[in-house]
Amino acid sequence: MFYSIRHVTRFRYSGPVRESVMELRMQPRSEGPQTLRSFQISTNPRAQLYAYTDHLGNAVYHFNLLREHEELRIEAQATVEIGQMPAWPDALDPLEWSRYNGFNLSDDHFDMLEDSRFARMSPELESFMKIADLQKPVGDPLSALKALQRGIYDSFEYEPGVTEVNSPIDVALEQRRGVCQDFAHIMTAIARSWGIPCRYVSGYLYHKGARDRSAANATHAWVEAYLPSLGWVGFDPTNNIMAGERHIRAAVGRDYADVPPTRGTYKGDADSELSIAVSLEPTQAPVRHEDFLKVARPMVTPTSTASMPERLYHQQQQQQQ
Amino acid sequence: MQHEVFANTEDFGGPDIVAGTGRISQPGVDAPYANYELGKPFDEMFSRDGQARATYAAIDSRVSSLPLEELNRRQQAVEQSFLHQGITFTVYNDNQATERIIPTDLLPRIVTAREWDRIERGLTQRIHALNLFLRDIYTDGRVLKDGVVPRSMIYGSKHYRREMRGIPVPHGAYVNICGSDLIRNEAGDFVVLEDNLRVPSGVSYMLANRDVARRAFPAVFRSMGVRPIEHYPLELLATLRSLTPFHEDVSIAILTPGVFNSAYFEHAFLARQMGVELVEGRDLLVNDNVVYTRTTSGLKRIDVIYRRIDDDFIDPLIFREDSALGVPGLFNAYRAGNVMIANALGTGVADDKAVYAYVPRLIRYYLAEEPILDNVETFLCREEKSLQHVLGNLDKLVVKAVGESGGYGMLIGPHASTKEREDFAEKIRADPENYIAQPTIQLSTAPTFVGNGIEARHVDLRPFILHGAETKLVPGALTRVALKRGSLVVNSSQGGGSKDTWVLSQ
Repeated sequence: MFYSIRHVTRFRYSGPVRESVMELRMQPRSEGPQTLRSFQISTNPRAQLYAYTDHLGNAVYHFNLLREHEELRIEAQATVEIGQMPAWPDALDPLEWSRYNGFNLSDDHFDMLEDSRFARMSPELESFMKIADLQKPVGDPLSALKALQRGIYDSFEYEPGVTEVNSPIDVALEQRRGVCQDFAHIMTAIARSWGIPCRYVSGYLYHKGARDRSAANATHAWVEAYLPSLGWVGFDPTNNIMAGERHIRAAVGRDYADVPPTRGTYKGDADSELSIAVSLEPTQAPVRHEDFLKVARPMVTPTSTASMPERLYHQQQQQQQ
Repeated sequence: MQHEVFANTEDFGGPDIVAGTGRISQPGVDAPYANYELGKPFDEMFSRDGQARATYAAIDSRVSSLPLEELNRRQQAVEQSFLHQGITFTVYNDNQATERIIPTDLLPRIVTAREWDRIERGLTQRIHALNLFLRDIYTDGRVLKDGVVPRSMIYGSKHYRREMRGIPVPHGAYVNICGSDLIRNEAGDFVVLEDNLRVPSGVSYMLANRDVARRAFPAVFRSMGVRPIEHYPLELLATLRSLTPFHEDVSIAILTPGVFNSAYFEHAFLARQMGVELVEGRDLLVNDNVVYTRTTSGLKRIDVIYRRIDDDFIDPLIFREDSALGVPGLFNAYRAGNVMIANALGTGVADDKAVYAYVPRLIRYYLAEEPILDNVETFLCREEKSLQHVLGNLDKLVVKAVGESGGYGMLIGPHASTKEREDFAEKIRADPENYIAQPTIQLSTAPTFVGNGIEARHVDLRPFILHGAETKLVPGALTRVALKRGSLVVNSSQGGGSKDTWVLSQ
């Protein structure tokens, strides 16, 4: 299954700003059943883009704009292939709990067990867990996580505008309303309190009909919980489904703070207005770029360690051949 | 405009000579030592039987030969000199910031060549182990996998910077400038009280104090073979330069939080001494992953930043987004290797007071050597047995919050009221992992001029270690003095003073 994703972000400023610096985490990951087939990103005004891989394995692009501007557009275009998803069992045996041990847990899991900036215990969360009967996991870890996902789905209304991007989960908990980010944080915090490593996933969801509660044409968020005998398994508490071939993963982290699609600063006495457009369509297999470029002749490594000017001379000579 | 009130060659006193009389003062008896108390702690000047140590003989005979008024006059000249040079320090209290001169004492503290040799070897060993530890926890995490240090202590530390994982630093040197606090225990041995691996300050006072003591007692100074420290700024410069692979046109800047920072004087002082730029965050910008400073003639590239700003504030894009002190994009330029930052980010995880307790084990683990300098005995409240011991002995212990520095968030058991101890016990119970405790160590005492004579005051010792392509200690240190009689708190933020430290060449 191939998807074509177009993700446009526009910042408009109420006055001229300068020295914008920005980081982008929107390149779909390439691992497991998901393979990134192509990715392009550009900005307007044009900026030189740089990239690195962060400590969570996410691709991060960054750039800066020195000169004054009043609008900034970022356009990312990706083609992703989703292969066969593993078929998860309905339940695991209760012994799974005993497999959360030093032998199976490694460095990567530790961070996903502790409170983080947004996914943290609070009196509000504790009282929700009491009311929703989620204080203790029931049954094996997989069944317990499914019950947790269902519990969140049943207790909350999906409603944009109640919470903001930096709201603590307490706002959603008080209102019993929120969006995917809030539900993912709540599920993460509870799963961690049960001793299950759990991480936040930022990405996209291909909507099929009206069954999904989350907004179409937007970015999406869900969670992944670690089950020693299955690995990381995705749960989407917003839609009460296991993450599958409609979920496209862009970045993973402890919570939203680790993986915002855009994060930046600018100088200038102006407010900014953010608009986002996402379009996600099934597509045909793309032409593989590497098929175009056939290496005619492999590069010859110079045998001697020529000093810089000599090597330059070498190269200039070759150009004339 | 800056007035040098005293030319360097001029002395504060009149003619100063090394008195030839063999007079030996008795503490608690002879003027000016009439009120000098010798107690349980080790005294730097007098042995237990009240004999002045040979190293202090010259100072003793000089001081004893001067009338009290003359000592007073010299002390005042010292303070005037500090005030005129603007050597001040900001003290934050009750939401008010007060500008004070750091009180400096006329009388030097003397360290013998043998003592220094052990300190130098011990601290060199220590900084090597700490740097290997930092490289380990930011790459393979071998020390965690082997269970030598609990993972939760590192991952749970607010100073552990996940962003630093896998970023190579030149020479593996994460800590380039370290200030370790040593104290002398009752047996007279130097032990390490804490390591300051983030942005240690105080080196400018080490240099300013030398200026003062040398001019207060010029002849004594000349006669004793005191090792020079004036080259510290050059050594610092060499250390910073060693962080870049370039040899020509290396451009270095000191990044200060600004004039309201308590150590601003030091930032300006070091910049002037090294001949490098002094910049605030707003003076810098990052363009295409390269750091520049704004100058009147355009942008100028910066290769090395000696930052005196905490990690949290250094780059609002990566760390605290509300930081107005930092430079957006700086960390990515650093990640790309386009600028070097000293100290590296994330060093605070290793001067955490809980990690401190593990340093002797780290030395054995990484270097397969026995520690040359011991630690002070430390109880980790994270361990149940230690926690019970601490709660049961609060009246005898000093309890410290793990992530704080500068004497904030601590309880000095023997000096606290019952109420204070009970309140603090609550805090410890609520968050045991955040506290460590140590026995109240009697810091050694040293002769200190107090206006109507010379009395014993508690002191510690902060040498500064430089670590780039090589490791260097300038033979000197900041000796901090608890100016209040009986007080053990030497922090300048809590009213401590300082004095010059003479390391003898033999």
